[in-house]
Amino acid sequence: MRLENVWLRYHRRGPWVLRAADVRIDPGEVAVVLGRNGVGKSTLLQLAAGVLRPTRGRVLGRPAAVGWVPERFPADQPFTVDQYLGAMGRVAGLAGPATDRAVAHWVDRLGLTPVRGVRLPQLSKGTAQKVGLAQAMLRPPGLLVLDEPWEGLDAAARELVPAVIDEVLADGGAVLVSDHRGETVRLPAARRWAVADGAVAEESPSGPEAMAVVELVVPAARVSGTVARLRADGHHILRVRAAAPPAAASIPDGVAASSAVPSRAEPGAPSLSLGDGVEPGATGPAREAAR
Amino acid sequence: MTALVRLRLAGFLRTGRALAPVLAGLLTLGVLYGGGRAQPAEAYGVSAVVLFPVLAWQTKILLDVEPDVQRRLAQVAVGPARERAAGLLAAALAGLGTVGVALIFPWLVGGVTGPVGPGDRSIVAGVGLGLWAHLLALPAAVALGALASRAVTGSAGYGIAVLALGAVGALVLGLSDSVAPWLAPPVMPTARALTGPLAAPTALLLSLWAAAWAAVALGSYAWRRRSRA
Repeated sequence: MRLENVWLRYHRRGPWVLRAADVRIDPGEVAVVLGRNGVGKSTLLQLAAGVLRPTRGRVLGRPAAVGWVPERFPADQPFTVDQYLGAMGRVAGLAGPATDRAVAHWVDRLGLTPVRGVRLPQLSKGTAQKVGLAQAMLRPPGLLVLDEPWEGLDAAARELVPAVIDEVLADGGAVLVSDHRGETVRLPAARRWAVADGAVAEESPSGPEAMAVVELVVPAARVSGTVARLRADGHHILRVRAAAPPAAASIPDGVAASSAVPSRAEPGAPSLSLGDGVEPGATGPAREAAR
Repeated sequence: MTALVRLRLAGFLRTGRALAPVLAGLLTLGVLYGGGRAQPAEAYGVSAVVLFPVLAWQTKILLDVEPDVQRRLAQVAVGPARERAAGLLAAALAGLGTVGVALIFPWLVGGVTGPVGPGDRSIVAGVGLGLWAHLLALPAAVALGALASRAVTGSAGYGIAVLALGAVGALVLGLSDSVAPWLAPPVMPTARALTGPLAAPTALLLSLWAAAWAAVALGSYAWRRRSRA
């Protein structure tokens, strides 16, 4: 998909919010849109998603199925989570049974099961944000546009976002995500589009050759075995060290269970730094955490 | 698109905001039929006039119930053209409900009477002409309500102004000595035509006039929506 010389202003005599933006994203790619508040990140994302029409220029090759997660989910609607997601699935063109399956899958996946019967206005901000993510994923998107998806999510839920993004990429979709809080360190392979003064510039490309550091926690007794196994897998071990217990204690179990380490580590052969969080002699369960 | 129409109708009915136009419609009809009995066609012609602003207001409320961001989500899901069409269709269906109430209401309160004289129309002809009069008013009212909706006007005050100007304009420009009757939808001329015998060419002309007015108003709605997010 490509934005070709796209200009946008909201009113005829208003200032240009975007000027001559020229960017492209291909299937299987993720791009992070960076920039300060109010520079036009959301505008760029909404142009890509098809919410806004360029004042000048063209958007070419937008996939038929687009999922858009707005910055704030519009919770002021008289539906329960189930009713809303069911309706949005059918609006997106899914048949009845397919909608039911997709809703059940994403409700379960995003931990919305306890709130299925709750009306949207009664949801907390983070939960509403998850409903926003679910509605975008009901029909597998060829382009997923996420506007500050980490906003309002708790630590465990924040890990869901990269997992969902990986899934879209694996299915051949493209993903655009904006962030102003540095959460996108979770997406080391992403291209970076910087928005400033109405212009969009791609920062130094970080393709498949880009490297990332993943820190793991393993029981001290298994360190040498793990290091050997990771080396055998082609990873580069930076160091092994004993670590302070609080760091380990602050990592939720849910994170370890859904560890993004394998999906991060395999394709790009990133370096590994082992040992952060290991207390010598610790006998707890094996815990691996990606930060 | 059917799913989106249903979602919007559900949103309209569940919020309770449907109550206000329904009450206004019933009140208007109550005042209209409180005065005495009339021939159905004649009474329905006036009913279509007084319901024109109610139908437009109802359309504006239906379209405005949905949060702006939800409207954009719908647009991403089905595309801009179908998103707009679904809103208009939902408003037209809600309007048909109101028209149904307007057709039944006078029989419940004894506001209309069957044929009494030799020249009077049959009840079926009277109700048929009444339905026709309301169906002429409905598309124009939906178009006016859509032009007054928040997606077009952006602000509540401006929206109310469009609605009020449109409704008053339809009445004032529809008066029999109007200088520019073609600027308004033919709700008033239709009501006048129904007071006496209705010739087929007149009926055809009024139908075409109503269709042309609605087409222009709906076209400008589509154009305004295109130029606004």
